[in-house]
Amino acid sequence: MSKSVIETPPKGGFSFDLCKRNEMLSKKGVNPPSFRKTGTTIVGLIFQDGVILGADTRATEGPIVCDKNCEKIHYMAPNIYCCGAGTAADTEAVTAIVILLCLCSDMVSSQLQLHRYHTGRESRVVTALTLLKRHLFNYQGYVSAALVLGGVDVTGPHLHTIYPHGSTDTLPFATMGSGSLAAMAVFESKYREGLTVSSPIPFFWSLIFLFQRNEGIELVTEAICSGIFNDLGSGSNVDICVITKGGKEYLRNHLQPNPRTYTSSKGYSFPKKTEVLLTKIIPLKEKVEIIEGGDAMEE
Amino acid sequence: MPKEQANWSPYDNNGGSCVAVAGADYCVIAADTRMSTGYNILTRDYSKICKLADKCVMASSGFQADVKALQKHLAARHLIYQHQHNKQMSCPAMAQLLSNTLYYKRFFPYYSFNVLGGLDNEGKGCVFTYDAVGSYEKVGYSSQGSGSTLIMPFLDNQLKSPSPLLLPAQDAVTPLAEAEAIDLVKTVFASASERDIYTGDKLEIVVINADGIRREYMDLRKD
Amino acid sequence: MDLDMNVNAPHSMGTTIIGVTYNGGVVLGADSRTSTGMYVANRASDKITQLTDNVYVCRSGSAADSQIVSDYVRYFLHQHTIQLGQPATVKVAANLIRLLSYNNKNMLQTGLIVGGWDKYEGGKIYGIPLGGTLVEQPFAIGDMHQLVVKAVSLAIARDGASGGVVRTVVINSDGVTRNFYPGDKLQLWHDELEPQNSLLDILNAPSPEPMNI
Repeated sequence: MSKSVIETPPKGGFSFDLCKRNEMLSKKGVNPPSFRKTGTTIVGLIFQDGVILGADTRATEGPIVCDKNCEKIHYMAPNIYCCGAGTAADTEAVTAIVILLCLCSDMVSSQLQLHRYHTGRESRVVTALTLLKRHLFNYQGYVSAALVLGGVDVTGPHLHTIYPHGSTDTLPFATMGSGSLAAMAVFESKYREGLTVSSPIPFFWSLIFLFQRNEGIELVTEAICSGIFNDLGSGSNVDICVITKGGKEYLRNHLQPNPRTYTSSKGYSFPKKTEVLLTKIIPLKEKVEIIEGGDAMEE
Repeated sequence: MPKEQANWSPYDNNGGSCVAVAGADYCVIAADTRMSTGYNILTRDYSKICKLADKCVMASSGFQADVKALQKHLAARHLIYQHQHNKQMSCPAMAQLLSNTLYYKRFFPYYSFNVLGGLDNEGKGCVFTYDAVGSYEKVGYSSQGSGSTLIMPFLDNQLKSPSPLLLPAQDAVTPLAEAEAIDLVKTVFASASERDIYTGDKLEIVVINADGIRREYMDLRKD
Repeated sequence: MDLDMNVNAPHSMGTTIIGVTYNGGVVLGADSRTSTGMYVANRASDKITQLTDNVYVCRSGSAADSQIVSDYVRYFLHQHTIQLGQPATVKVAANLIRLLSYNNKNMLQTGLIVGGWDKYEGGKIYGIPLGGTLVEQPFAIGDMHQLVVKAVSLAIARDGASGGVVRTVVINSDGVTRNFYPGDKLQLWHDELEPQNSLLDILNAPSPEPMNI
């Protein structure tokens, strides 16, 4: 009995028991089987009335595409969304990172939900930012999630980037993931302050607003496309999320620039089964003694 | 004092896939035209297919610098052969030469993965497939390169070839007509570029038959 | 491939930060570059962080570590201000940073400079380098603001890890003033080329003359 007093029950969460061992092994030259990072292009920018987030939809495991149309823009709160990239410098497979990202965003989004129930107010972007950075700092970079967080709250539109070690930046336009350099090249050459409108005539405001938002969407789309086409770790389609004061618009597969290039007119079938080399049937009754009856199972 | 060792590699992998299919009176050799390193595309339009003789072409993936050196070496050897014999080298002869050339560098290999295709002396399609150090085999169809793990099982399923151990030896050529073989090659590359990040941009198809050599192109995914 | 930019390295601010006391207050200055390996992750970062109304801190080293330290210290100072019913002094802020830096010295890679003004001691600057040492910085005379801008821009000119713009914060009995000096308006120190507009602008001009740069 005294043993159970000493042993504390497991507390849940991640176990990092093997991290030290793996580090020691790799220092001694026993390298883990593969060493690859997972590719992604995620971006965000602030325009006059809110924030636009964008992401590609490719998930890779080494050189193989394991999901051609995955979702990388995660829900945080009704007015806050978050793009996730797993820029793993370690050996984790992409699935592990997807799970980590989902865990990460699910944990934070439910904490935000509880906070909203508690306060009866709309979540703020800084709250999500603080929760995420605290979580990532706690795990000292081992939860290797790189995030672009965007949203509109009572204090206006906000865009932040969060790095695996828990540092954050506040920027008017941001990119992350292996395609971040390609996407940043587009932003650095084409982003304008606020993507403003020249005409202040109120009658045309709604029309202009539409045009202006499209201008922002077009720039985000171009940045993601730059990642899709120039970075092998990114690919497939463009997902967009526009968040404004009033609400948001999630444009899943806003652009699909990579349709299948060739389909055979006749189609292919796979008729052949596994080759049968030998057929021999041995009835089990000849091999084992079967005891019929016996007691029925009791609970 | 621990021994210092080089912390750089003389090799790179520039990716890409190659396929060759032999028929009764033709041979189809195909490769994509993407050249990449790491997550970067170096060019979208680089031909991996090299004509070695009138009825013999080679498609190679792996390390482009080694492939280029290998191609130049084979071209030089073929020129000498032409001067000495006053004829083009046959495809089986070129296959043996390629094997010898690769094995010559057994302990500092050419990092190249080749398929050789062409017509033999009877005008029948033939395909030879290699590893990096010169082990080779005459087959009916083959695939090499980054997408080969995706392509090869599909080819095996569609064009199951007889065992090379059978006696008397059976012909390895596929039963397909030329147009069917081209259609098959287009399909496997379209599929490989869906899932292999190093295969894409454009497909180059070389068809060798009694009429000579013909080239075709088809677009592939560019992401 | 040797073009590895090491984008996955933890963020560190290969930084220029400076703090000077002058007759009546303090001036804090910093560049704006945050880099991961060879890639500039943020070219307009703000490394001068507010702790209270009258105390600011310049951050250097690991971005994550310096942010978490200043977040905690800001939180402690807010509590302290409420309990005291009056503004916290610069000394208290510096001591809190010292405490965190010293107690967690094997976890943290960050050096900070705290500066501010309080009614007891006037303008004060404290440096808290890596291990948690606390050093009060001496007093200087002259036009400190221009000195700070000059010092940071000289560092930007020579140090590859520093760059972008110069940000300054002046704190004295009148309050706080923030200043911003764009990178293309800084003085040229070593016969550099004048800052150019983007090549794209030249190429997109009605009659592009790319060789006339």
